[in-house]
Formats: sequence, C-alpha cells, structure tokens
Amino acid sequence: MKDHKNFVNHIRPRFVHSTALSVLYTFCLGGLSFLAFVILGVTGLLLMFHYQPGNSTGFSSILTLASVIPYGGVIRNLHYWAGQLMVVTVNLHMIRVVLTHSYKPPKQLNWLVGVALLILILFLDFTGYLLIGSQESGAAATVAVNILGLIPVFGTGLAQALFGEPSTLSGSTLVVYVWHCFALPMIALFLQLYHFWRIRRDGGVRPL
Amino acid sequence: MPKQLKLTRRAVLRLAWVGVIAASALTIEPLAQYLTSKEDRLQSSLVAYNKPLDMNTDWQNTAKARVWVKRDPTGVTALVATCTHLGCEVHYNVEKKQWLCPCHGSIYDQEGRPVSGPALRALPRVAVELKPDGSLIIDTSKQVGMDTRV
Repeated sequence: MKDHKNFVNHIRPRFVHSTALSVLYTFCLGGLSFLAFVILGVTGLLLMFHYQPGNSTGFSSILTLASVIPYGGVIRNLHYWAGQLMVVTVNLHMIRVVLTHSYKPPKQLNWLVGVALLILILFLDFTGYLLIGSQESGAAATVAVNILGLIPVFGTGLAQALFGEPSTLSGSTLVVYVWHCFALPMIALFLQLYHFWRIRRDGGVRPL
Repeated sequence: MPKQLKLTRRAVLRLAWVGVIAASALTIEPLAQYLTSKEDRLQSSLVAYNKPLDMNTDWQNTAKARVWVKRDPTGVTALVATCTHLGCEVHYNVEKKQWLCPCHGSIYDQEGRPVSGPALRALPRVAVELKPDGSLIIDTSKQVGMDTRV
C-alpha cells in the first residue's frame, strides 16, 4: 500500500482492491464530472476571448457572441450544457456516495472535500448565470445580494466581495467575472486534484 | 494470398488515437475563425450622411448604419433604429408611417414613440452636427431629447 501514499505514483498504482473493479459500483460519476469540468475550462477560456463583463456590456456581448461570431453559438452552448451536466453528475455522485456508505471512515475527509466542491460548483453555476447579464440575471443577483445583506455585521461586505455592484437589470460585473473565470475554477481544480489523490490514498477505486 | 490483418486491442486503440488527432485537426479552422473574428470590435460612434435632405422627405437611412435622419420644419433630427425591447433592428414602413420590429412585433409611430408590443421606451434620438458643406455628422454615443433639432 506504500506507493498509494506517494502523490506522484497514485495515477497508476501497482494494485487495487478487486471490489473496486466494477464500473456499476460508482457509474464513473466523479470521472464524468471531471470530464465536464475540463470541457468547461476549455470552452470557458474560448468564451473569454469575446465576452466583455460589465452591467452594460455583458448581455450585448453574449448576443454578439451567440449570433454573429463564427462558431460562437457552438462554444457558448457547449459551455452551457457542460455546466448543466456537471451540476447533475456532481449531485448523482453525492447520492451514490451516500448509498454505498462511502463517506464513512477512512473516507470521511474526502467526503468533506466533496461537499466543499459541491458548494463551489453550485456557486460557479450561479455566477455563470449572472454573467449572462440578462434581466433575470439582474434579478438573481439582487436576490443574492439582499440575502447576504441579512447576515449581521459583515453581510454587506461579503455581498460586495462576491458580486460587486450588479444593477437590477444585469448581474454581470467584473467581480463576478473574476470569481467565475479564475478564482473559483482554480480553487475547484486544486480541491479536485486533492480529492482524486485522496481516493487512492484511502484505498479507493480502480484507475480509469 | 493477401496478408492477414491482425487487429489486436492495442492496434485498434492506436487507430482510435489517429481518429482523435484527425478530429482535433478539423477544429483548427473553426477555432481560427472564432478567435480572429472582429465582429465585436469597437466601432466609431460617428456616422456621416452626405446626400441632400429635403424638407418633404420622410426618414432617410444612412448607409451601413442603423441611423435614420429627417428634416422637418424645425430642423434636422437623427434616430437609431434599434428596438428598445431586445435590440433588433426596426424598419420604417413608409405607407403606415410606423416603425416595425420584426422580432417581437413592437410598433412605434412616425416619431419613434411606442404604440404597441413589448417595447416601452421610444427609439433613441442622437446628436446631429451640420457641416458647412451641408453634410451631416451623427454621433450615436450622444443621446438627445425627442424635440432637439439642428
């Protein structure tokens, strides 16, 4: 088991548990989530070349991207649907882990990392929705800012740090953009790498 | 006798790699088109109109822009034909003397005030500058009131 604890040698371990060899045990839901995450990273990077964040520019740049830029609609839809898929697979992954009791020791720490990742993914989904910059995004941003504002003492500051100052007509701000395109994906990526290594360290499933 | 083709699992997977690389190569040209597209570059907000503008003519379109100009007894005015609902280009119907939006059916009267449909705001008027040679320079970044004339 010693090589499982080495961070470098965990991708192709010398042996795995025979019980972990069945695809029907995990349905590869974590792997599918990571695949969606990679697609989101690539298409998101491409979208950044044409998207202009800001309360007044967000929505119009999406319209231009989806209707005028060659293949812009394809890339935008790939990003959109991969995002939807990831929320679904991540939730199914959580349900599977509960049903197979995989949150129990020795995997309790990885369960907590997974919960943190779930929250991150949901927040990524929400900030992506705000970046569309439509009136619905503006309404959603207003609701989120008002809910956070109910937290005593630091609620208003927290809302400012997470959302900036969205207008009621558009949720697209530079602050949301930076969270969505850099900060949150980076945190999620490093947590995921730890999550995968931890599976092996806890004696987890077979390599893909 | 033809050579027997031996398809081991490894050979098939190697072929699959060729397929993956070929498929990736097919995305190069679309990607280049996407990345080099300048459709969303910033354009100058200034539009010129060089033709003579009679008192009796109705709205006249400037070439290549959504800007229309008109001269009435009080002076010259310019209008941007972008629907105030969701930004489609509206068209002027000369017989009905109305602006019609093809997307969601908004209708504006001759002066660009909303008559029916989802649009609630009037079509924007923008600043016009009269050059000594009689041509017009329209600045679409400067909105003006409906009654402003030059």
